[in-house]
Amino acid sequence: MKIDTDKKIVLIGLDGVPYNMIEEFSQDGTMPNMAKLISDGVFRKSESTIPEISSVAWSSTITGKNPGEHGIFGFTDLHKNSYQLKFPNFNDLKEEPFWQQWDCESVIINVPSTYPSHEINGVHISGFVSIDINKSVSPSSLIPTLMDMDYRLDVDSSKAHESMDLFLEDLDKTLSARIDCYRYLWANRSWQFFMLVFTGTDRLMHFLYEAYEDKNHKYHDKFLEHFRKIDSVIGEISERISDKDTLLLMSDHGFERLDYDVYLNRLLIDENLLSFTAGANPSLENISNDTIAFVMDPGRVYINYSDKYPRGYVDRGDKDKIISKLKTLFSKLKISNKNVIRDIYTKDEIFFGKYIDDAPDLTLVANEGFNLKAMMKTPGLYSKGIFTGKHTQDTAFLLAKGISSDAIGEKPKVSDVRSILESTIK
Amino acid sequence: MSRSLDHLDKLENQSIFIIREAYSQFRNIALLWSIGKDSTTLMWLVRKAFFGKIPFPILHIDTTYKFKEIYDFRDKYAKEWGLNLIVARNEDAVANGMGPDKSKFECCNQLKTIALKQAIAREKFKALLLGIRRDEHGIRAKERVFSPRDEDFEWDYKDQPPELWDQYKTKATEEEHLRVHPLLGWIEVDIWDYVKRENIPIPELYFAKNGKRFRSIGCECCCGPVESDADTIDKIVQELKTTQISERSGRAQDKEDDYMMQKLRSLGYM
Ligand SMILES: [Zn+2]
Repeated sequence: MKIDTDKKIVLIGLDGVPYNMIEEFSQDGTMPNMAKLISDGVFRKSESTIPEISSVAWSSTITGKNPGEHGIFGFTDLHKNSYQLKFPNFNDLKEEPFWQQWDCESVIINVPSTYPSHEINGVHISGFVSIDINKSVSPSSLIPTLMDMDYRLDVDSSKAHESMDLFLEDLDKTLSARIDCYRYLWANRSWQFFMLVFTGTDRLMHFLYEAYEDKNHKYHDKFLEHFRKIDSVIGEISERISDKDTLLLMSDHGFERLDYDVYLNRLLIDENLLSFTAGANPSLENISNDTIAFVMDPGRVYINYSDKYPRGYVDRGDKDKIISKLKTLFSKLKISNKNVIRDIYTKDEIFFGKYIDDAPDLTLVANEGFNLKAMMKTPGLYSKGIFTGKHTQDTAFLLAKGISSDAIGEKPKVSDVRSILESTIK
Repeated sequence: MSRSLDHLDKLENQSIFIIREAYSQFRNIALLWSIGKDSTTLMWLVRKAFFGKIPFPILHIDTTYKFKEIYDFRDKYAKEWGLNLIVARNEDAVANGMGPDKSKFECCNQLKTIALKQAIAREKFKALLLGIRRDEHGIRAKERVFSPRDEDFEWDYKDQPPELWDQYKTKATEEEHLRVHPLLGWIEVDIWDYVKRENIPIPELYFAKNGKRFRSIGCECCCGPVESDADTIDKIVQELKTTQISERSGRAQDKEDDYMMQKLRSLGYM
């Protein structure tokens, strides 16, 4: 695919920002530039992947593919035929991101799950979970420039566990550095595709969603300030492009208030469907050989098949029986009189592609307020901790300028972004 | 400039994370400072974690039998680092003439264990930061990063809480205090490497004088020096490396995985 030489495509990601928040902030004056784009463009609620986490959602965004095709099902996975944890990264993505297939120069900044960075026709700076700056920047000759601008790969979220003030300070520094980086590359590189993702929004909402909801909250203004700063960048970018160009803003999933963290493995343990070798720590590596199923973050349920795992127990012939048992168990789960689980999908219902074998046997989506977790050692079946916000699957947003509403459709999915952008390229 | 994490950076990061997490969970916390190299290294990390200003007290259990150098060192750095130093003694036992000549075990119990217990009760500490390393002997090696003790300081195997990372919601109950071990991932050589890298001050007793040095320091009466000519940190590290085989850093991928896990956990995954 070739982009006309005088055309530019710009994709801005706001990690985790829900449709309703954009709507509210564009109406109440917090994000005036966003408001202007909404009145000039197409603004839609969009759907994240299932499961609704950044690693999967961004992988689907940049490839336009189903997780069964690109092979990323979460931040964590297991090595083949074992219970040993692995952290899938950009090298495990089985489909090429679209920028590799567009015949143009690109600048890619901070897209989650693109670590380690790959050499491309242009610049690629990887996003969460990036560890080593030396493996995060292509070309590496850019590293000294980034270090000079105090570029930060990610907010240090551990700070929030100690002091919100320190966390917010770091969040703001990270955003400033990201903005400096975008400005520098926008001006100093030739490019036709520019992609920039702001991830601080997601971190902010994990810890301080309550500060968004509560106008009297100590950090309410800080919360708004972060969005104002991003809005000013959006205004700047809108000014810098022409009518021929395409601008698409999006989030990879939405957010809402978190009422309870719910520990699904705990439920399985309590129901004697999951146990551990005698005397050993409750962890995946120590699963006992009579375990029926286990969960990985956020709500990925795997059946402990005897032909798949070293201490597998379940015969393939019993699949339907086990699935129906698990479905009943999860669908009945209630906390404070509310059903915890909204939807339960078998792998065939939502996944397709070459790597479907690696997909979870069941994937759960929670009802409002419930955050599904796979933690093994927990204070109980559920609790309320430091986190006040959680991801949502069906309230992401998409906002486009220079793209017809037909090309976008009524309820786009993150995996449609690729074809939506390509509809503007001949 | 490289940000890749070497072994010490990783240990430092982990320890600082544990320290901050412990403080955020149990505001009423103290650092137990024996003035030895491990707890002084821990002090260094705590200062780093809070940018030079430690927001909680430093507890020193004074048996009254410590080396003079230890008292001098303590007072010098308590002043220099602006520490909120609490010196605790079992005054009754001291007044009654308790000493190693009575019974070494009873001396330790009265002047250390009981003195500590009294101090915790008096100050109502919910948690203590200790500089225990993984390669220390016996039961200590089994300690988790957080370990609870009940009022009688009995080891409670059944009531072991999960490791630090899964611990966000668990609070210490009224009856017990929690022992937090930010150095549990370190071994002796790591401490020395780090003391050297960071130029952390430690008492002179560790360095060889007249062919002898102390590998650990405490009460004058109960510490024997070892034969050694190691009068610099480099020589001490060399001595340790030749006297014991230590498995150092794992593969680079393992380190990266550890760090990823830490990042994911700070966002509530896993
Ligand atoms: Zn998130």
